[in-house]
Amino acid sequence: MKQNYKKSWFVKIIFVVSLFVILFITGVTYKHISELSKTQQEVIQTYKLNVELEQILSYLKDAETGQRGFIITQDSLYLEPFFKSRSKINNTFAELKALTKKNSKHQQSLKDLNGLIEARLHNFEVASKMALRDQTDVEKFKQVFFEGKAYMDAIRKKLNGMLALENNLLAERKESYENTIKFTPIFLYGLIILTLVLLYIAYAKISSDLDKLRKTNQQLETFKEATNQAEIINKHGSWRWNVEDDKFYFSDNLYRLLGEKPNAFKATIANFNSYVHPEDRKKLEEQVAQMKIEKDLPFINYRVVHKNGNIKYLKAYGKSISNLEGKEQLIGTTTDITDEIDYANTLETRNKELELNNKELQAFNYVASHDLQEPLRKIQTFLSRLEDKESDNFSESGKKYMERINFSAKRMRNLIDDLLQFSRTNKSDEILVVKDLNELLEDAKQELSEIITKENAIITADILPKVKVIPFQIEQLFTNLLSNSLKYKAIDKRPQIKISYELVAKNNDFRLKNGTHKKYHCFVFKDNGIGFDAQYTEKIFELFSRLHNKNEYSGTGIGLSICKKITDNHSGFIFANGTPNQGANFTVFLPA
Amino acid sequence: MKIFVKFNFNKVCSAVLTEQLNKLGLKYNIANFGEVDFLEPLSSEQKKMFSEALDAYDIEIVEDQKTILVQKIKDTIIDMIYNLDTEIQTKSSVYLSEKLEHSYHYLASLFSEVTYTSIENFIILQKIEYTKHLILNENLSLTEIAFKLNYSSVAHLSTQFKNTTGITPSAFQRIIAKRKLLNN
Amino acid sequence: MAKDYTHIILADDDEDDRLFFTDAFDELKITTKVSTYNDGAYLMEYLLSEDAVIPEILFLDLNMPRKSGKECLHEIKANSRFKNMVIAIYSTSASEEDIEDTFVKGANIYIKKPDSFKKLKKILNNVVTTNWQYQANGLNKNNFLLRL
Repeated sequence: MKQNYKKSWFVKIIFVVSLFVILFITGVTYKHISELSKTQQEVIQTYKLNVELEQILSYLKDAETGQRGFIITQDSLYLEPFFKSRSKINNTFAELKALTKKNSKHQQSLKDLNGLIEARLHNFEVASKMALRDQTDVEKFKQVFFEGKAYMDAIRKKLNGMLALENNLLAERKESYENTIKFTPIFLYGLIILTLVLLYIAYAKISSDLDKLRKTNQQLETFKEATNQAEIINKHGSWRWNVEDDKFYFSDNLYRLLGEKPNAFKATIANFNSYVHPEDRKKLEEQVAQMKIEKDLPFINYRVVHKNGNIKYLKAYGKSISNLEGKEQLIGTTTDITDEIDYANTLETRNKELELNNKELQAFNYVASHDLQEPLRKIQTFLSRLEDKESDNFSESGKKYMERINFSAKRMRNLIDDLLQFSRTNKSDEILVVKDLNELLEDAKQELSEIITKENAIITADILPKVKVIPFQIEQLFTNLLSNSLKYKAIDKRPQIKISYELVAKNNDFRLKNGTHKKYHCFVFKDNGIGFDAQYTEKIFELFSRLHNKNEYSGTGIGLSICKKITDNHSGFIFANGTPNQGANFTVFLPA
Repeated sequence: MKIFVKFNFNKVCSAVLTEQLNKLGLKYNIANFGEVDFLEPLSSEQKKMFSEALDAYDIEIVEDQKTILVQKIKDTIIDMIYNLDTEIQTKSSVYLSEKLEHSYHYLASLFSEVTYTSIENFIILQKIEYTKHLILNENLSLTEIAFKLNYSSVAHLSTQFKNTTGITPSAFQRIIAKRKLLNN
Repeated sequence: MAKDYTHIILADDDEDDRLFFTDAFDELKITTKVSTYNDGAYLMEYLLSEDAVIPEILFLDLNMPRKSGKECLHEIKANSRFKNMVIAIYSTSASEEDIEDTFVKGANIYIKKPDSFKKLKKILNNVVTTNWQYQANGLNKNNFLLRL
């Protein structure tokens, strides 16, 4: 955009410069032409002056010739040219005066000339009178005649002087004119060439711009086509709205979004609104009115009704921009989100179903384990009463059966207790609080104090941090891990459990690759128990998975599943590692 | 309208005793709780009158020396626990038999016969109660309390606490704190 | 002493449990007077009657029809008439949170119904003797918390 503006400035400057050059050339030419005509007039004037001066001489000669004829013939007829030339000289003289009124030298010369002419004419008269009286004193006459010749020579000389002056003037003017005009053609030629060059550059510029424009136009055309296709594929349409003259433009696909063919109706807001779902019409109108004021339309969802009754969900977004002429224009995009909405609705329904299922499952689990406790407890209690009161009356096998029943009942109780614990270990409505884990570990040890004392177990721990946790659950986690180690102790060794702690960065432990936090608290529970085979590292956390025969060890296969559930609830991880007959270690990661 | 009164059982009894004894014109000292020391020997007539007078208050004369001794055992134990600053190094059994001039075996069997619990249990109960008091009112840490009450370790104290009350010291503290919050 | 037997009330909707309970007290050496109520509503009806004898210890089952143990606990704690009564929750297992919650709401004792008669006797004996110690030795009842 900006670059184009620059280009147009460039062309403008070239044109202005060219215009000035042409104006300049015109000015110069005009000046030269007017100079030329002035010179021409001066030449004409010089010639006129020449002619007039020649004329004067010729009149004087006429007069001289007439006088000579008179003198010889004494016939006064010859005097006629003399008189005539006199008046003619006067006329010519007046003209000369007019011709030379600007030149003081000429004026002076004319004055001198006038005197000389008067003197000559007077000489004529004297000579004529002497001849007429016929008292021709030859000597005297000769003298007068000679005087006349001298006058004539002076006049001639004067006239020649004036002519010379005039010719000089002419030559001078000619020279100055030539001086002026000498470089003009080259200069003008140069200027014209320059102008032509400039004009050519401008032309080249314009034509390249035009080329570019054509290319851009072509691209725009392609782009428009691509947009059209994109609109069809993506189910969206675009529109423009010139606010000032209230003119709309709808893209082809916008019509299609309304279930119509392109340009099926005139692009107006009223026509568009007629497709909008009646319940959404008011909302949309308000939004449009708002858009006029705020120049920005936040996303708006509304429904449209196709002529065939189909309802589609549309989402629109609009923004105000100013076009090149500075006119307000709103441009916008409208998308068909029916599929998205359908998808979201399906998802929501599925989620609700899933949630419901989950809740039902939890409730079932809870109710099952909780309500199963009651009859079992009674069976056990009645059994204990039976044992207390009636065992003396039992046969040996009867006593054995009692024992078996008791064992099974106990086992069932353990299972139910653990299941109940498992079902209670939920994240819902639990709040995380910052808790000193040393305290929780201490509480867990308290919980197990009986068995710890019985097994004479050594439990050592690093100083643990304060962490945001669900305290009951972490205590449960610690209890389960400790009790697991105590349960699967080596027969010949004193149980030893070492709890170590460190803060680790997510990137420093590959096991945390799925973690969402940057840092984790890492707790390792290491024991010297019977351990387990490496192949069971995953299986060990599965619900009801047990690695040992239930007659050997009393586990239910739920304890470690609870641990896993607890770490999951805390967005943490738990991993197990074991070496048979050497021990196991459990690593717990909690987000820091 | 109802009015609830709270009374000091000990004081009320003492007052009743004093009143009745004065009525009968007997010379006496009220020594410990429930123990009247007569300065002159009582005739059986006087004794009968005194017994009848107390009967109205549902107070009965315990002639049984056993009960008195049990009370003495309790007093000695409480005194022993609350005044541990005086540093009783000897075992409580030795201390008790020396102080009460009876064999410990005799005291122990007598105690459980009357109270249905053992002396050991009683001592533990008293210690735990004192611990509760110290946790709540003196704001002492469990370590400090263990030291104060001559426990070998904190673990020992908290295990005993847990075994006696079924809850851990921290849970106890938490529950009481939450209760206070709830009542306010 | 003024009284040589302890008044005890149990509210439990389970007939077998009531039977175990009374049997256990019968076999214990302690002299007690045990009465039982079939649910919380009957219990409260009695406790709020004019001539009710307020028991030393009240055992409350949590899951009862009509009025649950928690509701009873709430009503009893709101009524200062029962200030000196020790309340024992007597229930099948509950979550740690629930147990703590009953303590916070004012229960003194939480008993998880045991799975043998011997344990039951032991527990009830413990409850009664501990309570008796609190009474006889003037211990601070506010600190009376016992979980069995």
